[in-house]
Amino acid sequence: MAAVGGSPRVRKLESALIYATLTGLVLAFLFPVIWVLGLSLKTRAQVFTSPPLYLWWPTFENYAAVLARSDFVRAFANTLIVSTSAVLLSLGVGAPAAYAFARFPFKGRSVLFFALLVMRMLPPIAVLVPMYLLFNKIGLATTRLSVVLAYTTFSLPLVVWVMRGYFEGLPVELEESASIDGASRFGALMYVILPLARPGLVAASILCLQLAWNDFLFSAVLTNNATQTLPVMMTAFSAGDSGMDWGGLTASGMLVILPVILFSFVAQRHLVAGLSSGAVKG
Amino acid sequence: MKTASLESWFDRYFVQATVLPTFLVMVCVFGLPLVFSFYLSFTGWGLEQPLFAGRFVGLANYDDVLSNSVFKKAIYITLGYTAATVAAQMLLGLGIALLLNVDLPGMRVFRTALIVPMMVTPIVGALCWKLLLDPSHGVFNQWIGEKIVWLGRTDTAIYAIWLVGVWQNTPYVTIILLAGLRSLPSEPIEAAAIDGAGRLAAFWFVTRPMLRPYILVALLLRTIFEFRAFDNIYAMTGGGPANSTMVLSMYTYLVTFVQFDFSIGAAAAWLMLLISLVLCVLFILVIRRREAL
Amino acid sequence: MAGLSRRQWLQGSAAGLLVASTGKAWAQTKPDKLVLVCENSIPWKRTLLYEVAPAFEKANGIKVEFAMFPVDAWRARLKAELNARSTGIDLAMLSVQMGEWMAPHLLDHNEVVAKIMARDPAFAWNDFLDGSKTAGTYNGQLVGIPYRLTAQIVSYQKVLLQQAGFAQAPRTFAEFQKAALAVNSPPTRYGFGLMGKQGPATFTNVVSWMFSAGGRLLDVKTGEVFLDDGKAAVGLQFYADLFQKDKVVPPEAMTWEFDDIIAGAQKDRYAMTATFSSYGTLFNDPKISQTAGKWAFATLPGHTSKEQSRSLVDGQFMAISKYSKNQDWAMEFVRMACSKDLMLRSMEGGNSPPRASALRNPEMIAKFGWPSTAAEAIETGIPISQYAIWDGLEIALRTGVSETLLGQKTAKVALEGVANEWRRNLRRAGILKS
Repeated sequence: MAAVGGSPRVRKLESALIYATLTGLVLAFLFPVIWVLGLSLKTRAQVFTSPPLYLWWPTFENYAAVLARSDFVRAFANTLIVSTSAVLLSLGVGAPAAYAFARFPFKGRSVLFFALLVMRMLPPIAVLVPMYLLFNKIGLATTRLSVVLAYTTFSLPLVVWVMRGYFEGLPVELEESASIDGASRFGALMYVILPLARPGLVAASILCLQLAWNDFLFSAVLTNNATQTLPVMMTAFSAGDSGMDWGGLTASGMLVILPVILFSFVAQRHLVAGLSSGAVKG
Repeated sequence: MKTASLESWFDRYFVQATVLPTFLVMVCVFGLPLVFSFYLSFTGWGLEQPLFAGRFVGLANYDDVLSNSVFKKAIYITLGYTAATVAAQMLLGLGIALLLNVDLPGMRVFRTALIVPMMVTPIVGALCWKLLLDPSHGVFNQWIGEKIVWLGRTDTAIYAIWLVGVWQNTPYVTIILLAGLRSLPSEPIEAAAIDGAGRLAAFWFVTRPMLRPYILVALLLRTIFEFRAFDNIYAMTGGGPANSTMVLSMYTYLVTFVQFDFSIGAAAAWLMLLISLVLCVLFILVIRRREAL
Repeated sequence: MAGLSRRQWLQGSAAGLLVASTGKAWAQTKPDKLVLVCENSIPWKRTLLYEVAPAFEKANGIKVEFAMFPVDAWRARLKAELNARSTGIDLAMLSVQMGEWMAPHLLDHNEVVAKIMARDPAFAWNDFLDGSKTAGTYNGQLVGIPYRLTAQIVSYQKVLLQQAGFAQAPRTFAEFQKAALAVNSPPTRYGFGLMGKQGPATFTNVVSWMFSAGGRLLDVKTGEVFLDDGKAAVGLQFYADLFQKDKVVPPEAMTWEFDDIIAGAQKDRYAMTATFSSYGTLFNDPKISQTAGKWAFATLPGHTSKEQSRSLVDGQFMAISKYSKNQDWAMEFVRMACSKDLMLRSMEGGNSPPRASALRNPEMIAKFGWPSTAAEAIETGIPISQYAIWDGLEIALRTGVSETLLGQKTAKVALEGVANEWRRNLRRAGILKS
């Protein structure tokens, strides 16, 4: 509904222009990804032709090889588990806090908020080894929980920052009408505010997901072979000494993106749900 | 009866109940290592020593880092890289968000497609770009007709890293701004149209001010992230050639994990934090001044 | 119970009874697994994973769990866990460079060798190259049993050199330069390939040239730095000139690291290179290399005479942790893994074992080409430093080499800068007194 300025209906010429620009952008942005897809369907010899090959008979041997590896399947499952948990935990803990920051002028609000920001600014490398030592002491050293917690601490400030912005953007009348209707603060948050903050929630969840899905350093140090995530497992393909396994690397790279694309496809509907979900005016 | 009292308790202590868990997690999991790292930066400690056995060296570690020419060069490289990357990401991201905001059939596909680069595992993306930029069998060079060794020359390597950084993280900005655009009320824009404002004027005078909080969030987040950029540099150049892409994170990584000097690594990381803070404060001051106008 | 000897069964049940009655197992009862921590590049460890471990499990009923990590995480984890005296690690693979800080946590493997030899004389400790033993000895303590030992050797396409008039491999720097120019046919094939990316490959690729010019690095014990005495600069300048002046190096070699130089050889991008001895297997492998069978090998040329030729020696060792509760069983695994037969077989996967019998095995030489050259280079080779401080010094050297390669500085100036940085570090570490 919120069209780019001007009249609610976009004219034909503009539509064509928009489509053309977007297609161009998509091609530019997705070209590397499509190239990776292509590489995953090539044999090793075909990868290194000069000039590069654009047309060839695709082979699925790389995918077969990757999927047959138990360490890949296990790492895939671990990544799913760890990322989902981290996202849910971050949203569950961070969104209510963001709401409090947005709506309640309590004492020390700015200080706490700034503290969150500062914590986010410290390069994670600095806390990596201390975090490992800490987890080691409490016995969490090689578990998935350790990485979930680590990722949550990266995501929480993010969630609070981003969600606070969205909550602040919602009109105050919403809570007023909710309390007139007899809802408690908690009820108002759960049943009125959060549904309307869906774009913000989805945006925050995508950002958190990206963080957890692609992290390498923390997973490498905090997990072991049974609990490692995909980015760590994929280093096995680029092990220096014996030549890079391009087929394995690109095939696994493509397989890794699939769930994320699926999630984005499903989530983007909520990303663009606006105020038109009917809460404000009769 | 029970749920009512739970809810009313929750209501009364709403702020505490919602804010406390966040800080609990942050302090316990992140805060303790953070403090330990701060402590480390003032000691000379090795991993083989017991936790608190490092001898106190005062500011010696910081002095060491600040007098290291590689670190000093890294500051300039990082600041330049951050400015260039964030600027590109913001402009491109805003433009794409505006386009994606339009309700046309099939937008769903475009929206999903333009998020993808962000989700590619950095190693895979960086290695793929390495192939694309390869002088002999890289597609990029084929198109421009030259045989430039992008990652092997001190004058081009940083631009290649910039390109990959923009490619990978513009979707980040797009998502934030798109969600922001979608949360904006449509009445002001429609009113402006009815008043006869052109597309561009409507955007500049109506949409943009309303979008401001989201723009600031995106700007701040991207600045923090790009200042700390690591994955792409690690995978593509490792800081070279001849330290021309040695950003602060890469330097800190080398000191911490290759040289295994955690004390100096901690000092370098905290210096990075200090610089980020200064940037942030400047940022806020500039915003405040503009708001006052 | 068929398949278990009577004795094994009795042993097993006796142990089981003891465990059940006392509630705890004493040190050398059979564990259900051994944990081996190593780096995650599989191919040259293929034999360990797919032959030794299953055979060990079959013979002893103990599973071997390989905890594999990317290189930086591998080092960090070993450091952290061994420092905490964790009993969770039985065996570790370590590289020469890790010798100093790993040594306090490992058994003295001289004793381990003695025990193994007593149990199984066919282990033949004297079959191991002396170079491997020196590389693995820190302060008189042997830190592990050598499993992999590499030297830097010249690989060259024999026919191309012959066609250019070089019947054998160049023996001096000058000859090498002439040969490279003679076989240089840009833009498809260049004369010389090198690993130009600033990173872990930089040092290993250039230092043998510095050694062969009579250059040395430093004496870690006294803090005396030799890097800027002028000789190492000769080697570095020669190396850099091949790229800058003679232009016999593919331009994209500035982005090359381990995998790229292998790929470059396989795609016929260059005619000569000087790199890890074991890469020869991949160069000549018909399944993946366009130039399979074309490569011959020789030790590095010397600056003015062949006798000056010196190679860097690097490698990995298999070691038993002091804190392991299963040291006897770990020893048994080491005995199996490092036995003559299994080490010979590991060459198929790309390993370069430190056994004379393997490297001088005629079949292997006929098949791969490089083993005897590697053995020769190792004999006079200079091992990489085992001292912890070297890690930081190496980073500084990478910058200097990269700057020289790119023509930003001459080798002399660059190495002077590196040497000064080294002295600064040594002073800070208290090694250099003034």
